[in-house]
Amino acid sequence: MDNLQTTTNHKRNALLLSIIPGLGQFYNKQLLKGLIFLIFSSSFGFVFFEMIGEGFWGIVTLGEIPKLDHSVFLLIDGIIAIIITIMGLAIYAFNLYDAHQNGKRRDLGIAVNSVRKQYHNLIDNGFPYLMITPGFFLLIFVVIFPILFVLLLAFTNYDLYHSPPNNLVDWIGFQNFVDIFRLDIWRTTFFAVLAWTIVWTFGATTLQVALGIFLAILVNQKDLKGKAIIRTIMILPWAVPAFITILIFSGMFNETFGVINRTILPFLGMEGIPWMTNEMWTRLALIMIQTWLGFPFIFAMTTGVLQSIPDELYEAATVDGASIMQKFFSITLPLVIFATAPILITQYTFNFNNFNVIFLFNGGGPAIPGQNAGGTDILISWIYRLTMTSAQYGKAAAVTMILSIIVISVALWQFKRTKSFQEEDMM
Amino acid sequence: MKKNLLVMMLVFLLAILAACAPDRAEETTPDDAGEDGTEEVTEEAKPEKLVIWEDIDKSKDWLPAAIASFEEEHGIEVEFKELNMADKIRDQLRLDGPSGSAPDVVTLPHDQIGQVVIEGLIQEITVDETVLETYSESSVTAQMYDGKLYGLPKATETPVLIYNKELMEEAPKTMDELYAFSKDFTKGDNYGFLALWDNFYFAHGAIAGMGGYVFNEAAEGLDRDDIGLNNEGAVEGAAYIQQWYQEGLFPKGIIGESGGAAMDGLFNEGKVAAVMNGPWAFQGMRDAGIDIGIVPMPTLPNGEPVKTFMGVKGWHVTEFTKNPYWATKLIEHLSNDENSKARFVAVSEIPANVALVDDPIIADNEGAKAVAVQSQYAVPMPNIPEMAEVWGPMATALQTLATGKAQPQEALDEAVKSITTNIETNHPDK
Amino acid sequence: MSNKKSKLIRLTISYIIILAVVFIIIYPLLWVVGSSLNPGQSLSGSKMFPDNPSLVHYKYLFDSENSNYLIWYWNSMKISIITMVLSVISVSFTAYSFSRYRFIGRKNGLLTFLILQMIPNFAALIAIYVLANRTGLIDTHIGLILVYVGGSIPMNTWLMKGYLDTIPKELDESAKMDGAGHFRIFFQIVMPLAKPIIAVVALFTFIAPLGDFILARILLRDEEKFTLAVGLYELVAKQFGNEFTKFAAGSVLIAIPIAILFLMFQKYFVSGLTAGGTKG
Repeated sequence: MDNLQTTTNHKRNALLLSIIPGLGQFYNKQLLKGLIFLIFSSSFGFVFFEMIGEGFWGIVTLGEIPKLDHSVFLLIDGIIAIIITIMGLAIYAFNLYDAHQNGKRRDLGIAVNSVRKQYHNLIDNGFPYLMITPGFFLLIFVVIFPILFVLLLAFTNYDLYHSPPNNLVDWIGFQNFVDIFRLDIWRTTFFAVLAWTIVWTFGATTLQVALGIFLAILVNQKDLKGKAIIRTIMILPWAVPAFITILIFSGMFNETFGVINRTILPFLGMEGIPWMTNEMWTRLALIMIQTWLGFPFIFAMTTGVLQSIPDELYEAATVDGASIMQKFFSITLPLVIFATAPILITQYTFNFNNFNVIFLFNGGGPAIPGQNAGGTDILISWIYRLTMTSAQYGKAAAVTMILSIIVISVALWQFKRTKSFQEEDMM
Repeated sequence: MKKNLLVMMLVFLLAILAACAPDRAEETTPDDAGEDGTEEVTEEAKPEKLVIWEDIDKSKDWLPAAIASFEEEHGIEVEFKELNMADKIRDQLRLDGPSGSAPDVVTLPHDQIGQVVIEGLIQEITVDETVLETYSESSVTAQMYDGKLYGLPKATETPVLIYNKELMEEAPKTMDELYAFSKDFTKGDNYGFLALWDNFYFAHGAIAGMGGYVFNEAAEGLDRDDIGLNNEGAVEGAAYIQQWYQEGLFPKGIIGESGGAAMDGLFNEGKVAAVMNGPWAFQGMRDAGIDIGIVPMPTLPNGEPVKTFMGVKGWHVTEFTKNPYWATKLIEHLSNDENSKARFVAVSEIPANVALVDDPIIADNEGAKAVAVQSQYAVPMPNIPEMAEVWGPMATALQTLATGKAQPQEALDEAVKSITTNIETNHPDK
Repeated sequence: MSNKKSKLIRLTISYIIILAVVFIIIYPLLWVVGSSLNPGQSLSGSKMFPDNPSLVHYKYLFDSENSNYLIWYWNSMKISIITMVLSVISVSFTAYSFSRYRFIGRKNGLLTFLILQMIPNFAALIAIYVLANRTGLIDTHIGLILVYVGGSIPMNTWLMKGYLDTIPKELDESAKMDGAGHFRIFFQIVMPLAKPIIAVVALFTFIAPLGDFILARILLRDEEKFTLAVGLYELVAKQFGNEFTKFAAGSVLIAIPIAILFLMFQKYFVSGLTAGGTKG
């Protein structure tokens, strides 16, 4: 297959021998490496063989005997088995690749690396892998694994009447997705809720990001005194658990008894506002609260980033006669956004899914006649209402997936945009 | 070359998979047999240990003693743990049960029974007729689902009228009196009477008192297809509720999720003469220094009592216990007259034991007595899982009524429509 | 002259804005403090300046007979600090790799994880529970810490990578010329210059566990092992008779270590660090 004419065919032999991991390396006379491969893969197989087998069986059948087989646990064990299998295959593939590569070297008459050289090779080329591996493993189990679970759950009929231990859960294909679009109660309210979700996401996030960046730059001015204390106060809203502040705000915005309608608005010469019973005002209140809760994070982050901007840039700009505004828009803002763009985007998606503030402030209320979502319900809190009260876990997972697809496509599109401008300007 | 490689890898993979088909036939059969068999055997065999999950902060000063007497009598060690009853006991049971670390006995509010029975978290119990006669009939009914008994009642609660003795000399006998008093008393920040009637839990009293009902009773429990929340009586009840809001007797500040906190705050500041609330609120009010009087709810304008919702907390035997027989014995012991009395003294939750109603310790306790009397008119909350579909739509209807965005008939029709659709979608016929 | 004048105006406006923001921040927080001093239990009955302020809730929390608050506090500090240390280590490793090396998955790896973390996953809690159960990490602090560290990696890595990218590569290249190894360049050259961003990451990863009650509530069963957030959540999660005021008192005490930590790290936030690096 390869176009090089060689008399030997070590690469094929090594590859074939490596079907049992390590043998190919032995063949290539890399004894230590072969031994490592052999021991590692045989112990891997030994430890995980049964677990993987049962896992695959569980994830395919989701259990056969009610009360004895717990479908959900089987599903989870199955996912773990898949992850472990993939890891095993990756090692196996590396073993094959390594044997093949070294065989090729021998075919071409190049000496294979000595143990010492292998070690140096490992340190040099493997250094980045070495550094990211621990984090990567954690990510697989903390991030990937739960997502796989939700993803698979969306294709099951897991609900109250198919709940283990009494009953089994079954695979039902795309039925949940079909149901979601077929059922009236889901469809009718959907667009009203979607519209507000979008307004909420952009309104609240943009405000908190803008305020956070603005204040960070303001406080970062060289000749401003008392930076330490101002910065500490600025992060306080973040230091108190959001849970309690939202509840406090809920009390402050109370229409009849809250301090805002009672004291602050009359002091400003204004009438009381129906914060909790008119959905427009509740929405406004929510956006203001989220801004209050969210800006300190952006503030702290931007403050950190601002330190990385070399003074020379500003000095040079001053020499060129740039005004403060020009410096801001052509130096500070692009640099801050460059360093934090993906995180700013995650702020948007965070608010898109910001269940807590909606739920705790007014329970998604006020109620609106003829609609089964509250006036401030965003998609996620509405789904929570619809699914959790009637224990429709499979459907909840399906809707979560649909939502995720929306969020991810928008985010990806944004990432692509910011990335291109990064590469051009900065790298 | 490459093709060969792929084929070989595939063959290898398939070999692994084929080898992995679990040989479960051997494992499962004996297990199954064991499960069936044990139920007979355990009547004799005593376990070493039983585990109880009690509500949080509710075991102090009584449970250790009750456990000690059980240990003494039967020689079985009992351990207990406190967990939040509202949701955590159920959630944790779901996870711990299959993992093998589940308790033998738990406590749950009765409106969760239907759900946990369907999931298979608690099991049916068999007790002597004489044991059942210990408790009030309605509290035992609340522990039944599908005609079977799933627990023994531990405590009952239902909303009553709580008044501030400094602001109201004598408790009213009728809602009309209360209405007149409130009309006169409500000024500025002072309110004659407040109730969270935008919440169906509290509003049910007025709606049912006027003739509405959630699910009609049938031979085998409740009939989910017969919903009476938009019948003539229910509409009258809703109109009555709306009247209180429209005339400004109930402020807008007590509508919605945070309404309860606002109402409690006002009452504790001495600005409200009377409120409708449950026995859980008594202590906080006394702590705030209010001299409270507690009576059953006054009668409605049509002469009927306010038919409040009753909640019954019960003791249940979990599906996961290895000793259902002894676990049942244990819950009988925990809810017998003696222990129920001790529990009442310790945590002030009103027991369902008939013998205790006339016991001076309850008869002379104003709050307990009011709750006991009100319980006679109260309706146990439906414990079928379909009830989960009722709360949301009813809350929407009541809130739109309270804020004057809708009229009673249309609001209730709308609510019943969503309840019916939701039940049809989420609860297929068995 | 006009320069001085414009500077004065700029500073005055800045101070006015800052003052207004500070007021808006402090006002609700004073309410939290106020309600924590309120002897009653309900939130709305409390005032910013209670009529008869009392430390009764603080006393309750510190009384180890009644409450496990001190144990929880200790647990939380332990978890937060370990999470912070482990996160900073693993985040610096990954961020450094992403900033300085080419390897498989460099281009999209980080982005993929950032995006995956956007998927709302309250349904996934069961999965994490079962995983912890299978690995014997249920009801242990280690399990919880691992989840926190894992969750913190993508975002913080991105943040730190952005910062490291601004540290000139010539610095490590010249060090390499001088014969410095990978680890030496990393620890002795790059990390010291990255102090400001390390401070930011440390702060973020310290705070995150303090506010989380959802994961911790699933993974920790034993009351003695609870974190502050879980313990405090239990105070308000009771179906009836919420103890908001005690919760408020507990929250005030959570805010203190965060504020202290922030003050401690302030000096690293102060500018000039990388500027020096660039010049050198």
